[in-house]
Amino acid sequence: MLLGPSGGGKTTLLRHLKRELAPVGRASGKIAYKGQPLSGLPAELTAAEIGMVFQNPDAQIVMDTVWHELAFSMENMGYPAAVMRSRLAEIAGLFGLEPLLYKPVHELSGGQKQLLNLASVLLLQPKLLLLDEPTSQLDPVAAREFLQTLHRLNEEMSVTVIISEHRLEEVLPLADRVLLLEEGELRFQGTPRDFVRGAGLALHPPHLAYLPTAARLFLALEPNAVQAPRESIPLTVREGKRWLHSLAERGPGMGEAAADTGTSRLSASASASELLLSCREVTFRYSKEGAEVLKKLSLSLYRGELLAVMGGNGAGKSTLLHVLNGLLKPQRGKVTLAKGVTSGFLAQNPLLYFSYDTVQEELQQMAEYAGLSKEEAGREIARLLDIFRLGDLLLSHPHDISGGQQQKLALAMVMLLGPGILLLDEPTKGLDPGAKERLAALLGELRRQGVSILLVTHDIEFAARYASRCAMLFDGGITSEGTPAEFFSSNYFYTTVVNRMARELLPQALTIEDVMNAWSAFASPS
Amino acid sequence: MSSGFRAMHPSVALLYYAGLLLFATLLFHPLFLATEIAGLTLLLVLQGQGRQLLRALPFFLLMAVSVAVLNPLFSHRGAHILFYFMDQPVTLEAVLYGLMMMAVLLTVFILFISYSYTVTTDKFMYLFAGAAPRTTLLTLMALRFVPLFQRRLRQITMIQRIRGVDAGKGSVRSRMRDGMTLLKVLLTWSLEEALQTADSMKARGYGVRKRSVYGIYRLDLQDKAILLLLAASGLIPLFFWMKGYGVLEIYPRMKPMHFGWADAAMYAGFCLFVLTPPALEGKEKWLWRSSRRSVYPSAIPRKTGTRFMSSHLR
Repeated sequence: MLLGPSGGGKTTLLRHLKRELAPVGRASGKIAYKGQPLSGLPAELTAAEIGMVFQNPDAQIVMDTVWHELAFSMENMGYPAAVMRSRLAEIAGLFGLEPLLYKPVHELSGGQKQLLNLASVLLLQPKLLLLDEPTSQLDPVAAREFLQTLHRLNEEMSVTVIISEHRLEEVLPLADRVLLLEEGELRFQGTPRDFVRGAGLALHPPHLAYLPTAARLFLALEPNAVQAPRESIPLTVREGKRWLHSLAERGPGMGEAAADTGTSRLSASASASELLLSCREVTFRYSKEGAEVLKKLSLSLYRGELLAVMGGNGAGKSTLLHVLNGLLKPQRGKVTLAKGVTSGFLAQNPLLYFSYDTVQEELQQMAEYAGLSKEEAGREIARLLDIFRLGDLLLSHPHDISGGQQQKLALAMVMLLGPGILLLDEPTKGLDPGAKERLAALLGELRRQGVSILLVTHDIEFAARYASRCAMLFDGGITSEGTPAEFFSSNYFYTTVVNRMARELLPQALTIEDVMNAWSAFASPS
Repeated sequence: MSSGFRAMHPSVALLYYAGLLLFATLLFHPLFLATEIAGLTLLLVLQGQGRQLLRALPFFLLMAVSVAVLNPLFSHRGAHILFYFMDQPVTLEAVLYGLMMMAVLLTVFILFISYSYTVTTDKFMYLFAGAAPRTTLLTLMALRFVPLFQRRLRQITMIQRIRGVDAGKGSVRSRMRDGMTLLKVLLTWSLEEALQTADSMKARGYGVRKRSVYGIYRLDLQDKAILLLLAASGLIPLFFWMKGYGVLEIYPRMKPMHFGWADAAMYAGFCLFVLTPPALEGKEKWLWRSSRRSVYPSAIPRKTGTRFMSSHLR
């Protein structure tokens, strides 16, 4: 498993391992595959035995129906029809793709597309699989399914897998070896548990963000974490829970401390403040015959709050944002904005916003459209560039900057319109842990300036940590809502890792900080 | 959904439609054209496409009837003058010729409705993949881009409206400018993605060897039999056509219609060709209907009479 911040060289390394995709530039050193230099192997061998799956599920698909996409790689290798047929039957069965075989590709969900990509690579029976953040565009359920399939391949067919990933919680416990790459250098290499210990000892604090929650909690609470035997370091929820309970037994009972955790954060909730946006019994469907995506949905947003709307795939989260922003007109019900308040919408794909050749032009055109005068525009742009730290990129092409920067640029463009409400569609998708923290800081800054934020997300940890209110979208309506503590502690499965680990001891604890506070609150009086 | 004629091997359908198109243009004879129209309509109705046909029919009729009306107004060939219209002679031959043209046009129209229902794009591509694998691949990829771009453009239009780019509002000039902006966004985005698609193709060994073709269709025994039947029955009218039968001569002077034994043989072969697919389709229909009416036939003999738990002891 490869870890590290975006731009640390993970993709470049993976591409070097796949000869067909080796980046252009000056290269030195040697890459050997099975003892042979990679560059000297026949083309058929490298194409078949080293498979690669990329980040974006859509961009890898070549054909328009599932069966044809699956057959594509085999057709390239010139296999006879009988071989193709039997291999396809085998893989389609393994991946459960049979019911989808004749479907057009664009009807598949993101998770299904990524499974299709993996399956079509596997049809060539590779010995080595390279995966470049394969789950970054997937929701948690689909991602888990994908990773489980991968784990099965690794276990049952002993395919070697090299994966770069930001979803550590699920991947790290499965990994045999962890490599930490930063600024093009290998900073660490070893087993996951050694990695945890190393992080506790020597690595910088930002590296802690790359540990699974259980391990981080372990490092924070276990009295002598660094010297603890390697096997006792917890990586998964189950191990974490066992360790936490044993810790609670060793120390005096934590039951009393449990009562008041989390409540301190709740007091700041925004129930009394001004209503900015309300939507009453909104019903929406895309076509006359289509199913209702939103059914009599009611929702309100108050000044200065961060409301996180969660829900499964296809629950209508994006549709809700489109309706709230007035991009789609509901058949029934009404969306009302407070007087003088406008809303800004940030779609999942920031590329949709760009139409000029430089970042500067994009911002200037937007300011012009917003009706700002020259000086105002200059001031406003300078302020936003400062907040978003985009100053160095003014003359770059919007397509040439990184994904996180593109998102920030699109957000800055939306902010130029001076919205009182920001509607964000999955802003944390594909971000590394550091970038997520920076995004949260940014949103906090905007909230302090009086902007209300509504975001739809799959990222439970992010919502639990930073939202002031959470809501669940299911079956076209809001089924439950409340402060993160209320919202998540009543859930059994759909909750944070810490909560799942500590729920018997501290039912309201959602984040590592909650547990640590409870711990010290308990420790100090005694 | 696909059963009967539509479920057969694409080559059968292609032979059928190619043959029909050929006959529609070669056999300029009211009887043959009427039979062809009737056969195709029957096929469409049996396939449950009658509604589609009805929906498209007004437009087709308008086109075809206008041809029938216009022909005598512009063509004055022929010997039998019926009347004068604005000092122009309207001849019987021209009227009949116009009607025949109308029949040909209608045949071709209906032929294409049936064709597009039965032979989908990927079936067509499958047939030509063997001959020109690369071209077919390119065509398929290009075809995929049309709906893909439409979906993307819809998204872009929606988002760009936020920043005031709207091709549906404002003066013609600003509309055109905004439309160009939208296309530019689409193009940059799609080119960017196309690079990744190219990577994915390369990573999966595109161009390493000569491509083979994976087919989801298999030529089974029935397909072969039908193929043979169609070919044989299609050759009969073709043979007689080369001998000069089956074509009605109208200009310069209409010849009396003559129907001898040769014409009868030719017509029989033609009927066999035209009506084989509708017959297959009808058989399928009947099969399902009869299987619903009676118990599904089973090879296991059915026991009659009352059975008891202990009956196997006896």
